[in-house]
Amino acid sequence: MGRKLTGFVGFVVLLVAAVTVLAPSSAHSAALPGEALSNDVCLACHGDPSASTKLGNGKTLSLYVDHKALAGSVHAGLACTDCHSDITTIPHATRTFPDEHAVSLAFYQVCKQCHFAEYSRLLDDVHYAALAKGNQNAPTCVDCHGSHAIAPPAQPRSRISKACARCHTAIAAEYVKSVHGKALIEHGNNDVPVCTDCHRAHDTANPLSASWHLQIPQLCASCHANKQLMAKYGISTEVLTTYLNDFHGMTATLERTEKARPREFTATCTDCHGVHDIQKVNGAGMLAIKENLLTTCRKCHTDASANFPSAWLGHYEPSLRHSPLVYAVKVFYAVFIPFVIGGLVLQILLHLWRAVVNR
Amino acid sequence: MTEYFTRFSSRQRIEHACVGLLFIVLAVTGLTQESFPMHWAEWMILAMGGIDRVRWIHREAGIVFTVFVIWHLGTGLWQVATGRARPSIVPTRKDFKDAIMMLRYYLRLSEEHPRFGRFDYRQKWEYWGMLIGSIVMIVTGFMLYFPVLTTRFLPGEIIPAAMMAHGREGLLAFLVVITWHLFNAHLSPEAFPFDPSIFTGKIVRERMVKEHPLEYEESLAKSEEERGASPSSGTDHPE
Repeated sequence: MGRKLTGFVGFVVLLVAAVTVLAPSSAHSAALPGEALSNDVCLACHGDPSASTKLGNGKTLSLYVDHKALAGSVHAGLACTDCHSDITTIPHATRTFPDEHAVSLAFYQVCKQCHFAEYSRLLDDVHYAALAKGNQNAPTCVDCHGSHAIAPPAQPRSRISKACARCHTAIAAEYVKSVHGKALIEHGNNDVPVCTDCHRAHDTANPLSASWHLQIPQLCASCHANKQLMAKYGISTEVLTTYLNDFHGMTATLERTEKARPREFTATCTDCHGVHDIQKVNGAGMLAIKENLLTTCRKCHTDASANFPSAWLGHYEPSLRHSPLVYAVKVFYAVFIPFVIGGLVLQILLHLWRAVVNR
Repeated sequence: MTEYFTRFSSRQRIEHACVGLLFIVLAVTGLTQESFPMHWAEWMILAMGGIDRVRWIHREAGIVFTVFVIWHLGTGLWQVATGRARPSIVPTRKDFKDAIMMLRYYLRLSEEHPRFGRFDYRQKWEYWGMLIGSIVMIVTGFMLYFPVLTTRFLPGEIIPAAMMAHGREGLLAFLVVITWHLFNAHLSPEAFPFDPSIFTGKIVRERMVKEHPLEYEESLAKSEEERGASPSSGTDHPE
C-alpha cells in the first residue's frame, strides 16, 4: 500500500517537472519561483534601445542591453539571471538609485560569485580601500571591465592602459610619451609593460609606500633581467647587477629584507630614469638623463657638486674604456693580493719545511 | 726558575689590544659589506641589525681607528724625536740582507741563520704593511664617508675607485692576518700554541736568545755597564 502511494507521488512530481520544462516561454507569463528566466524574456523589454530609467540626480540611465554585444562577450553562455539573480519574477520590482556610482556599487558584488580569487585580492587593493572610505570615484569591477560587453581584458594589451587612462588622465598622458607607452600605443608592441604589469590588477598596491619603492629594482628586472627579451632591443641585462652591487642597490635589497621600516629612501631605477615618463637611454634620452642627474642626486645629496654624478658609473662594469681608474685599482689588487698572500704562504711552508729538516 | 725579559711596555700592550679589537669590529662590519651579494654576508648583516646599523658601527669604529693611528704615529715620532725611544721598527739595509740570508737558509743553500735585533725583518714588514694599509683604509674610508665633500675637489670617479680600493685592501689585510699573523703568533713551531708576550709584555730567556740574539747581547752589555757603575741596581730585566 505505502509503496503504491510513493510511486504515485513520484509520477505527479515528474509530470509537473516535464510540463514546466516543456512549456513555451512567454514574456508576459509569470514565472514560477526558483525557475530561471530565459534571456529572451529579459530582452523582450531590455532589447528596446529606448528602455531607460531616471536616476535620483536627474540623469537618465539606459536599461538597453545589446544582445549582439552580449552574445560576443566572454559571458555569452550565461543567463541574465546568473548575474541579476535578484530577478526571479516578471514583472520584477523596480529599484531607484541616486546616481551611476550607486548602480555599479549595487551590482559589482555579483562578480565574486564566480571570480572569488580576484575579489579576495581586491581586499589588498588601493581602489578598494578608497571605496571602503566612501570615495565616490573609486572604481568597481564594471568600471574597468565593462558590464554586458565584457571582453578578455588583455586583447589587445593596450586595452588595459586605456582602461586606467579613463581616470588617471595626467599619468596616462605622460605614459604615452614614454619609451614604453609609445611602443605600446603607436607600434602595438606587446613586450612593453602596460599599467598592470607594474601596478598589478585587483591588488594594486600603494606606489608611494617605502616597501613599494624598495622593490622597484626587482619590478624593472622582471623584464630588464630577461636576456632573451632584452636581446631583441639590444639592451644589456647587466643593468640590474651593476645597480644591485653598488651602494644604493645594496641598501635597497637589504632594507627590503629588514623588519624595521627603512629610515629613508635610497635611489632606485625610477629616481634616475623617471617613472611614467621613462625615455630611451641612448641619443637624446641619454643627454636628458645626464643633464638631470645632478638634480636627481641633489634630491638626497643636497650639496652635491657637478663632479658628484660621475661617481655613478652608469651601469658600466669598470674597463679600460669605462672608468679606467676603477679598473686600474681592480687589476692592481687582482695581482697584488695573490702576490702578497702567495709569498707569505710560501714563506710559511719554507719555515715549516726547514723546521722539519732541522729535527 | 724561568727567566723573563721585558719585551713590550704596557702602552704597547694596550695598543695591540685596541688595534686587535678595532680590527675585528671593522673586519666583521666591513667584509660583510664587501661580500654582500653572497648569502652568508646578507645573513650576517641582518643578524647585526640591518645595513644602516652595520654602516654606522663601521664608520664609528673607523673614526676611533683613525684617531688611534694618528695618536700612535704622533706619540711614536715624538718619543723618537726626543730620544725616549729608538726607531727599532724602521727597516735598515740589514733587514734586506737578513731576508736574503733567511731565504738561503730555508733553501739549505746556507746553514747560517740570520741574527735578529729587537724586531726581525718579518715583524717590520708586518708593521709597515699594516701601517700603510691603515692609511689607505683611512683615506679611502673617509672619501666614502664624505663623497659629496670629496667630489668637490676630485673627479667623481674617485668614489667608485676608493670603494674598490677600500674593499680590496680590507680583504688583503684580513687575509694577511688569518695566514701570516695567525701562523707567527700561534701555529709556528716557535710560538705554538700561543705567543703570550704581546699580552704579558714578557719573553722567556730561551726565546730571547734564539729569536732576538742581537737585542739580548745588547741588553747584557748594558746591564754589565750598569752593574759596573752601580752594583746595587744590577738587574736581569732590561728594557
